[in-house]
Amino acid sequence: MAKIFLDGKPVEVAEGTTVFKAAQQAGIAIPHFCYHPAFVPEGSCRLCLVEIEGSPKLELSCSTVVREGMKVSTQSPTVREARRGVLEFILAEHPLDCPICDKAGECKLQDYYQDYGLTESVFREFKEKREKKVRIGDKLILDRERCVLCTRCVRFLAEITKTHELGLFERGIHAEIGGYENEPVRNGYSGNLVDLCPVGAITDTDFRFKTRPWFLTKGESICPLCSRGCNIYIDYHPGFPRVPGSAKVYRIRPRTNDAVNGPWICDHGRYGFIDLQQKNRCQTLVWNKGERTAEWSWDKVLITIGERVKALRENGKTNRISLILTTWLTNEELFLIKKIFKDGLGVRNVFFADPAPGPEDGFLLRSERTPNRRGAREMGFDLKAPDLNALVPDTDILFIFGPHFAGISHDGAWKPALEKIPVKILVTSHLNELASTADFVLPAAFLAEKNGTLTNADGRVQKIAAIARACFDIRPESQILLDLAREIRLDDSYFGALSAPEAVHHELVKEIPFFGALP
Amino acid sequence: METKVLTKDFGLDHLYRIGVYLEQGGYRAVKKALTEWKPEQVIDEVKKASLRGRGGAGFPAGLKWSFVPQKTDKPKYLCVNADEGEPGTFKDRSIMAHDPHLLIEGIIIAAYAVGIHTAYIYIRGEYELIARRLEGAIGEAYAKGYLGKNILGIGFDLELYVHRGAGAYICGEETGLLESLEGKRGNPRLKPPFPASVGLFQSPTVINNVETLANVPFIILNGAGWFLERGSPKDGGTRIFGVSGAVNKPGIYELPVGTSLREIIFTHAGGLKPGRALKAVIPGGMSCPIFKADEVDVKMDCDCVAAAGSMLGSGAVIVIDDRTPILDVLSKVAKFYAHESCGQCTPCRLGTSWIHKIVKRMAAGKGRADDVETLVRLSTNIKGRTLCPLGDAAALPVLAIARKFKAELENTMKGNA
Repeated sequence: MAKIFLDGKPVEVAEGTTVFKAAQQAGIAIPHFCYHPAFVPEGSCRLCLVEIEGSPKLELSCSTVVREGMKVSTQSPTVREARRGVLEFILAEHPLDCPICDKAGECKLQDYYQDYGLTESVFREFKEKREKKVRIGDKLILDRERCVLCTRCVRFLAEITKTHELGLFERGIHAEIGGYENEPVRNGYSGNLVDLCPVGAITDTDFRFKTRPWFLTKGESICPLCSRGCNIYIDYHPGFPRVPGSAKVYRIRPRTNDAVNGPWICDHGRYGFIDLQQKNRCQTLVWNKGERTAEWSWDKVLITIGERVKALRENGKTNRISLILTTWLTNEELFLIKKIFKDGLGVRNVFFADPAPGPEDGFLLRSERTPNRRGAREMGFDLKAPDLNALVPDTDILFIFGPHFAGISHDGAWKPALEKIPVKILVTSHLNELASTADFVLPAAFLAEKNGTLTNADGRVQKIAAIARACFDIRPESQILLDLAREIRLDDSYFGALSAPEAVHHELVKEIPFFGALP
Repeated sequence: METKVLTKDFGLDHLYRIGVYLEQGGYRAVKKALTEWKPEQVIDEVKKASLRGRGGAGFPAGLKWSFVPQKTDKPKYLCVNADEGEPGTFKDRSIMAHDPHLLIEGIIIAAYAVGIHTAYIYIRGEYELIARRLEGAIGEAYAKGYLGKNILGIGFDLELYVHRGAGAYICGEETGLLESLEGKRGNPRLKPPFPASVGLFQSPTVINNVETLANVPFIILNGAGWFLERGSPKDGGTRIFGVSGAVNKPGIYELPVGTSLREIIFTHAGGLKPGRALKAVIPGGMSCPIFKADEVDVKMDCDCVAAAGSMLGSGAVIVIDDRTPILDVLSKVAKFYAHESCGQCTPCRLGTSWIHKIVKRMAAGKGRADDVETLVRLSTNIKGRTLCPLGDAAALPVLAIARKFKAELENTMKGNA
């Protein structure tokens, strides 16, 4: 440990810590553009300069390592003047087009100007004209006038993805970020450049001109698109107060967790999530029978389904209930299914229909493309794919959770097979051909719309929360399952106590301690 | 006392051929150092001689060599900075063109002292003929066994290569040079680590100026005492001053370190043309703060010039007479550094360009009353706050001109209005 003095306050930090990190640990924010904890310090923005006693010049806090007894001033008049000077240089050539800039409201340059600038411009010259709309990737637009040349994008592509699509070209005032041979940034992680950019130089075509950051609410969640379980922020418009289910997710950003995803997420998750949240959503409760499709209330549908189940139960034939599950389900939902169907009703036919595994990319994206296969395995489920021959003759009631069963065969062989099953109940957040075959379609919540936990491939149990509800008439699967248990009067005292939000998880941990490792 | 050391034989025909060079006693220093001295002795002698870098910063060469770790599992490199890009400087080219073997000899001794087996001469791209001459000389040295494997049979190997730059001033900055030599964009590196520990190809590296190394053979042959006698106590030997501008006899003058600037201009360079008066002098290349006519009684060694508020730099004396508007000088300075800023760090990239824009406007007759004040403020914001010395190189001369010639600049503005 080394003892240093930050603005006169003694602070103990580990040897080898940089002044910047020491200040951060002490709660002192030092402005910076080029510094990023994931990269080797670059030292080019010159904003993080601090005064160190005994040093003739201002020193970079991002690269200067602490020495015992070092006296650092992060707020002296000289330091403030230096920062003001740097900001003045940047702002002199900056287009100041904040009113049409997507970054406005969360722009570092704006923030620092508030903290250190606030001066009148003495720049009387012509600003450089540069390109404002350079397509540098499938979803990336570069505005060279806004760029402060922190080269975080260049270094991300050099140090993290090692794909080197972008570089620094020209020199002096003409220096600019650009692609070699105008090759686009295409590496599965391109969206991170938008998060990395401290100003509005790199923007995302998915987000561009759609909304303003100050209209958005930030929710913490877990990416459901593979078994890595990357920690994410869901930035959503909370919707209009009198219109439930009108929340809209505008973007997904990485939430730093060094044990899982570091500060990054992949494009598959980033862009895939919004599509899943908004496209093909199942929004209406449906009962298909004969020629008529009528909309029913939740209560009526659940009573009807309950009666079907009860009828089987009275005849001692609950083993003729089959389940097709998905690992989009949370640990708690899987647990309720286990308690109700496996333990309560003695259901034996349990299958899992998940999206087909995809290629791993060697960085974050894993081949399992659902978030909770590990959770299902730890719960004691056998993750076998649906076997139509074993399923059809033995099934009177089939519960299908999730839309993926339709993808098990491309020839649609599941369709005539399903027709032979008397009662098919589909509980899904997304619509596809399955809905037209099912007798009941219960619209369920997608992952950002329900509380629970997911277990990533490494066995890490992570929380998700009901954040942004994009549909009106949906219910989380856990609620549907508990309602069903109540309808069929299955162990009322046990299931009746599980309606409180944390109760299912609590019960799950009691039974399977593995899930207690909630970070 | 004969003052010419480095340039003493420059007049000889075909000195650049090894035959002529050997006739003049060439490579005796290499023989002496490699066969009679231990590497540490060489470093000690150079330290004692107070040989200071001739490239601009004036860092003691022996000290620089001793910073390189003795024990390392990495190769060590010597890079000779022959990028001579500082406006007004034209001394290294004369050494390489007239006496390339002197440089090679210095390289061999330096490499031997530090334990280096690979050396590069990074020469500015414009010096095409000189690069070829160096290649020729290196070929001759290989042929005679002064380079290559087992030099002089003592088991010391040295490979020497010439690498031509592509014309960027920033590649004369030592870490920019390393990046360029590695085949990258010549952006300076963040220091520390310093090249002595992490330099070329991430390995310990010594970077010396051409003139610095050319002095080494004489220190070996004649000893530190002899060398010190020829200069100042803390800054030994002679320097090649390149005098340009409004003098009768512009050219290179090898004079003892510590010769007065007035003597260089008026005695050696023949003074100014009849009817003209001295207005200002830039003492060490364009990046050095300007001296007014009454400030030229300064001894030209690193410390004295620094005490007088400027830098000895590369010893390039640029003489300005009373017929040159100071705005013209300022324009050249501003344009050059705005053009040569690499663009990596904010104050240099945007500051030099802003300064250039202001000066251009002033020169176009559209100056404003507060322009000079703005120039002072902007250069103050660049000074000491950039990643590499180019920021200071751009800011210091602007600052000096704006302060020392404020009245003249403001008069020009009045004329505009």
